[in-house]
Amino acid sequence: METLNYLLDGFGVALAPHNLMFALLGAFLGTLIGALPGLGPANGVAILIPLAFTLGLRPETALIMLTAVYAGAMYGGRISSILLNIPGDEPAMMTCLDGYPMAQKGKAAEALAISAVASFMGSLIATIGLILLAPLLARFALTFGAAEYFALFVLAFATLGGITGKNPVKTIMAAAIGLMIATVGIDNTGVQRYTFGVLELYEGVDFIITIVGLFAISELLFFIEARAGGGKSEIVINKLKLSWKEIVAILPTSFRGGVLGFIAGVLPGAGASLGSFISYTLEKKVLGRKGYFGEGDPRGVAAPEAGNNGASSGALVPMLTLGVPGSGTTAVLLALLISLNITPGPLMFTQNADIVWGVIAALLIGNFLLLLLNIPLVGIFVKLLSVPPMYLLPIVTMVAFVGIYSISNSAFDLYFMVAFGVGGYFLRKLEIPLVPIILGLLLGPEMEKNLRHALDIADGDWTVLWNSGLAIGLWSVAILGLILPYLVGPMLRRRMKAGTETRD
Amino acid sequence: MALNDRLFGVLMLVLAVAYGWGTTQFPEPFGGAEAVGPETFPKLLAVVLALTSLYLIVKPDPDNAWPPGRTWLELVIAVVVLVAYTLLLQPLGFVIATTLAVGTLCWRMGAAPLRAYLTGLVSGVVVFLLFTYALDLPLPWGVLSVLEAD
Repeated sequence: METLNYLLDGFGVALAPHNLMFALLGAFLGTLIGALPGLGPANGVAILIPLAFTLGLRPETALIMLTAVYAGAMYGGRISSILLNIPGDEPAMMTCLDGYPMAQKGKAAEALAISAVASFMGSLIATIGLILLAPLLARFALTFGAAEYFALFVLAFATLGGITGKNPVKTIMAAAIGLMIATVGIDNTGVQRYTFGVLELYEGVDFIITIVGLFAISELLFFIEARAGGGKSEIVINKLKLSWKEIVAILPTSFRGGVLGFIAGVLPGAGASLGSFISYTLEKKVLGRKGYFGEGDPRGVAAPEAGNNGASSGALVPMLTLGVPGSGTTAVLLALLISLNITPGPLMFTQNADIVWGVIAALLIGNFLLLLLNIPLVGIFVKLLSVPPMYLLPIVTMVAFVGIYSISNSAFDLYFMVAFGVGGYFLRKLEIPLVPIILGLLLGPEMEKNLRHALDIADGDWTVLWNSGLAIGLWSVAILGLILPYLVGPMLRRRMKAGTETRD
Repeated sequence: MALNDRLFGVLMLVLAVAYGWGTTQFPEPFGGAEAVGPETFPKLLAVVLALTSLYLIVKPDPDNAWPPGRTWLELVIAVVVLVAYTLLLQPLGFVIATTLAVGTLCWRMGAAPLRAYLTGLVSGVVVFLLFTYALDLPLPWGVLSVLEAD
């Protein structure tokens, strides 16, 4: 009941006219970002953060807008999967399997509409799951002490690569690099660390600059290297002919996909890609011979789309309740929270209840907005697919420059951003994942604070870190998170690959 | 060959050692040393980075192909453009610097020169007007400041 009251208050926040306006703007921009070639969701949200700042938006408005962007990007990713057989982002990979065949049969509009409905269902189910689960988890998290938090952060890093991740050692390495960058500056006892007397470093390395540099600038360099400047020829889609019966036919599939996706999103180490994979595979099993998967079955479009949207809402659960994001985009959202001076974690549910519930209500509203946007406006988004990256990426880079410049008016920050971009290019070449670096940078101060707390209380006795049942549990999951990729990872990766390659 | 990972491993090992050594250089915190000082966490990180670097040196992944020489040149040009953009943003002003930077990038990525610089000019003017008038966030006028009203 308490939850319901909070949620109603949340709707009060989310339905305020200017918040609603920014939610709509965010949903539109998000779909745009998802649809445009070469602009992943994490990248897009990162570029928009400085802009949200410079606009002087209130915390809840900024968060509502960027959550809508996040939700929208997941919708947008499917468009190129269906029309071009090129996934807009990794989780949209499975949508290619039946989406592209549908498009080839002249049913592109139907495939797009079905995927919009399935995405809506997936997000809706997962948002309801979030509303039910998040307060419980937040209350549970209040029992965490410093040692448990330290273990939780280790767990977050250990599982970040995901079960399907290639090389967990590289994930840990990246996390260490990120945490090291976080130690630059004056620490909370007033000691200067690694500042080398440079004034700009006293306050530490700004993570927004790092994120924008690592993502946006390195993306530009990757496009230059791939020489993928040319645009795709414009695509004409057929007129939509979809009956209620066809929509109703995909609802059970969407429901199952949404639930599975949500679970995959909440669990550490699973994530949206696995969510859509599991949903698709299960649906194939459930329907058996009744389906014609891989040849343009509408349910083959609905299942992975519901799965990946369910997972992306599910991923907000650990981010909001524990302050520990499980994906790149939620990490970027965490960056926004921290820079708005909101401490993420269980206390947020009591201290900033209006913001948290406002955002959750905005997710629900955003979903309806996205469904409304996506069915009639899909033509516009389809046109965007043919925007050539050779014009798009320079402009996006410029917007990133303007965003960073308008925060601080400092050239130093811009040089820093370019340097991080070059660094990001080399790291990506070496397959060192960037997300753990970002997460290390974000969680570093909290992680160190909790370590110090735990050790101070125990008078420097390190065993305190695994002294409670809960802490031992967290450490065990962390260790599993590092071992499982070696055991089941190759098998899962092979299956996902086999699943997507049978088509070609 | 798996040279990249090995090389990176060695680099990171050097970083880990330097970073670890750095912890010994911190001034003692006000009020004397405690069980956990400013150096505890960094020391832990140095150990983690050193261990993972060693792993990478011993068990490197296969290399990804590096771009051919000409592409390197393009990449260097792009980075130079970005640095020059930062350098010229104040003195030349936002619109001119953007026209040059975005234009050059579009051109190097394969657009026809005229269309490339036109894209730069249009995007620069649009963003400038949007920021200065709609959002009230002044961007530098630079040499165009003669046009600035009052």
